[in-house]
Amino acid sequence: MTTQEKLAMLEEIMELESGSLNAGTKLEDLEEWNSMAALALIALMDEEFNKILTGKQIKEFKTVQDILDFME
Amino acid sequence: MSIGIKAIEYVLPEKVLTNEELSCLYEDWTPEKILDKTGIASRHVVSKDEHASDLAERAAKKLFSTGITTPEEIDFLLLATQSPDYLLPATACILQDKLGIPQNAGAFDFNLGCSAYIYGLALAKSLINTDIAKNVLLIMSETYSKYIHPLDKSVRTIFGDAAAATLISDNGNRIGNFDLGTDGRGKDLLIVPAGGSMLPKSEATATETYDSGNIRSLDNLFMDGAEVFNFTIRVVPESIRNVLKKNKLTLDEIDLFIFHQANKFMLDFLRKKLKIPKEKYYINMQDIGNTVSASIPIALKRAEEEGKIKKGYKVLISGFGVGLSWGSTILYY
Repeated sequence: MTTQEKLAMLEEIMELESGSLNAGTKLEDLEEWNSMAALALIALMDEEFNKILTGKQIKEFKTVQDILDFME
Repeated sequence: MSIGIKAIEYVLPEKVLTNEELSCLYEDWTPEKILDKTGIASRHVVSKDEHASDLAERAAKKLFSTGITTPEEIDFLLLATQSPDYLLPATACILQDKLGIPQNAGAFDFNLGCSAYIYGLALAKSLINTDIAKNVLLIMSETYSKYIHPLDKSVRTIFGDAAAATLISDNGNRIGNFDLGTDGRGKDLLIVPAGGSMLPKSEATATETYDSGNIRSLDNLFMDGAEVFNFTIRVVPESIRNVLKKNKLTLDEIDLFIFHQANKFMLDFLRKKLKIPKEKYYINMQDIGNTVSASIPIALKRAEEEGKIKKGYKVLISGFGVGLSWGSTILYY
């Protein structure tokens, strides 16, 4: 999976326009980064990456790159 | 003899809390957004002077008014609530008197939430199976709204109050074998921290704190949504596999799946994960929200009224949440 595809998935769960996210985007700057987005991210990790993402790990994410790294 | 459910009735408090009202309190949240994220448009909540025993009484009286049974015929009363009238005595004892259930009937409360209905059915089945009782009245009555801080949108958007009464006896829709489970490591994920002996209510526990956009105190209900979701992903699919095995059935042989109506997002996710066809999966909570222990009996009743449960159907029900606690069983109609 390419970085572009992963970014598109993140844009979809945060209901952002295509191309609005990049690896350096700070999560705290995103209004759409809230508890519902966190649930959607947990679901995405389970469905697409077969990974368990804990609430604690979510709190440690600072940038979009941190999420991309977790998807590896 | 087939021990099973003979009748279900439910009641809702009169007062309605709409997304429109909530969106006035929560910045950046529109009514449509709350509906889209939770699948909930409104929920019913009790007034200050309305308690678990009041809702329970109304639900039971509604059941009696159908003529299916009378208070005199009830020989065991089981009541699940986590918002009891008093720390003690049990709300079930208060209800025995209010309903005119004979004094030689057994009655007690049990403290479970979203899994309570499954546990209640297991208890009722056992009581009848061992000749301890013949007609069990199982009541779910929950008023979480009493614990919820008005500005905690993580829980206020989701939970609604309700009560449901179920009659179980030896000639109803058969209750199958059970899968039950518990994981107390998750006790802090859904909790009202203060008010018990561990942390008595005080000025300190009433102090409000701000937590990522929500306000609450230790006297209020707290839910760690992310971890509760992870718990659900972990245990529900396994519980479904286990209960099918224990009933010697396959997923395809189930005619309808009714899970605890937690929220639409979680329910949709579980359906996809378990590969359950949409037409066999029941969701109906838009006007009442997550009614905790009452959610499964309410959904069963609504599905029946809509003609979605027919004679001969096998209905798989599963409850999961606070405890952490979960359980599943199959109803044979």
